[in-house]
Amino acid sequence: MCDIIWCKKTQADGKPCETVNYLDPYCFWNWKGNINCAHCGTVYAIHMIQGHMYKGPDEQPAGTKPDTSPLYADKPLEGYINYPSGMEGRTRPFHCLPRHIYLGVPDMVKFSIRGKPLRGWRPQPKSAGIAGQFPYNWEMEKLSPEVAAEYKEKIAKGEVKEW
Amino acid sequence: MTKDLRECRLEDLPGPKSKQELDEMRMPYEDYCKAVFAPGHEMSKPEALKGIRWLSTTMYIFTPHSVANLAELGAEVIKVEMPRMGDPMKHTSPFNEAYLYPLHDTRPMTGTGYGFTSANVNEYYLSMDYHLPEMKEAFYRLIKMSDGLTECYRPGTFDRWKQSYRFVQELNPRFIYVWGGGFGYGPKCFGGSYDILGQAHAGLASVTGMHEFMGGHCTKHSNWCIDWYSGTQITFGILAALHWRAKTGLGTMIEFSQVQAATRVLGHAAPMYGRFGIVRQRWGNWDTQLCVHGIILCGKSDFPDAINPQDKFEARYAMVSAFQDKDFKALCDVIKKPDMYSKYMKHKDRVEGEAQVDIYAELEDWAKDKSRAEVVRILQSEGLLCEPVMNDREVYESEHYRTRGTVRWMEDPLFGDVLVQGTYSAGLMSQTPRRQYWIWRPVGADNVKIYHEMLGYPISTVKEWYDKAWI
Repeated sequence: MCDIIWCKKTQADGKPCETVNYLDPYCFWNWKGNINCAHCGTVYAIHMIQGHMYKGPDEQPAGTKPDTSPLYADKPLEGYINYPSGMEGRTRPFHCLPRHIYLGVPDMVKFSIRGKPLRGWRPQPKSAGIAGQFPYNWEMEKLSPEVAAEYKEKIAKGEVKEW
Repeated sequence: MTKDLRECRLEDLPGPKSKQELDEMRMPYEDYCKAVFAPGHEMSKPEALKGIRWLSTTMYIFTPHSVANLAELGAEVIKVEMPRMGDPMKHTSPFNEAYLYPLHDTRPMTGTGYGFTSANVNEYYLSMDYHLPEMKEAFYRLIKMSDGLTECYRPGTFDRWKQSYRFVQELNPRFIYVWGGGFGYGPKCFGGSYDILGQAHAGLASVTGMHEFMGGHCTKHSNWCIDWYSGTQITFGILAALHWRAKTGLGTMIEFSQVQAATRVLGHAAPMYGRFGIVRQRWGNWDTQLCVHGIILCGKSDFPDAINPQDKFEARYAMVSAFQDKDFKALCDVIKKPDMYSKYMKHKDRVEGEAQVDIYAELEDWAKDKSRAEVVRILQSEGLLCEPVMNDREVYESEHYRTRGTVRWMEDPLFGDVLVQGTYSAGLMSQTPRRQYWIWRPVGADNVKIYHEMLGYPISTVKEWYDKAWI
């Protein structure tokens, strides 16, 4: 199920905006806040409960800051011109972050279940190699000093195990 | 050996040759196994397939796994992927989560999914758009320098691109060429394949799961078991082809249809149909040939307070086997149903469908107020075969697997601390064990190694191809 905000805000040329902003259930299933139209930037207040639009969308005065953006938007009356995910200021970036297994909040795992450091986080710095080659020398101290410090702390606390 | 073969020396005879060897042979069997297999010390031993170079233009699990087997045994496998995209399996991860970054240096926000694990270990990652005429030379040069290739495109695609077996054997008559795919030649030649199709089309899914009158349906295995199985079958073909080549000097073409592979695991299905016209039916967690020999539901979870639902609710199943008369009698005594033994005293009586429904219902009735651990303990103490149905966490915790090195931690050069189970679960070898150096690398990570160091193209050419996205 996916609810939408069909933006009808009149534009400078006198025509309505006619943009369909898709509210993906993952983010908006139980959600209250302000969200922008991907095309014209008009901010709407919505309150969704269990996937249903309980209140809104109510247009907010110009200058209101949106809490988030739709995942995707398009203009069906203009040949489905679309705004794919990840367009800064228009649609929500798709960070693809692993979630906490029960709470669902984005959570970049830094240590394995036995407490040793993991690598391969996002985003990765661009490779310094030639033609996509990756130099395989990952110096944690240099590349992620905060994780290196946290690792030392874990060792001191005895939280790093063999199994 | 002595120069004169008639002379017989003690050290040439079978048996211990020194005091140390004598001690070793005196060891109890378990200590001996621990010493010869030495889990964790695989890297100090030689590799059986060292010197074999294999090309892999494969995707997903089925065909990649056929070459990952070679790479784990020491072959130098070059995985050729489409530039900047890579194997589609890299974009496939459980529930679209758990990615390891990066996929490629032009795509720092895209990662490789955990679904890629175990099917591509120890390989070198080359990117090449090999159907471009400009890249044909490099591709053919790789063919000349390699022992074989595994590909998974629709039948005839490589032929259209002038790189099928009939073309490459002219370049390298020793070349072993593997096509692995869906249906193979025949009326459904152009159909592609997935594991689920393999399970469904070959008849495997029709005999998996509970019967409909028990509330079941034909069932696909959660994991892609036919992909893994078919890949392993290809590896057997490759090893046989290598042996044949050692004898004759000639290559082979292997054509492997995934949908037909699953018929192999169906056992007596075809002969039974052929003789009696009986179409095999599914029988879920029980067995059509043996009874009692199945999985039963116990009343209580072993971990009622756990957060993880797999522990909290699912740790309730146990497998029980007591099909021999003596064992079945003991089982009936334990569950205090001696009349059930009198009713089904002979195996041929209790293996009947109606009897099984009756027997398993009684067993589950007995287990309904017990936890899984209680059921296992009671039956084991009576000398019956009974083990819990374990989840992944329990497999990880299992001391048996740790001792054997089946599940283990490794330090991946790129991705850090990784828990792996694939490589080391595929059998132990005392002299040339399987091993895992790395789980995978990003797309094109070994372009310089292969194009420049192996094929000798100047770095400027490599760079130019890269900028044009040919590699």
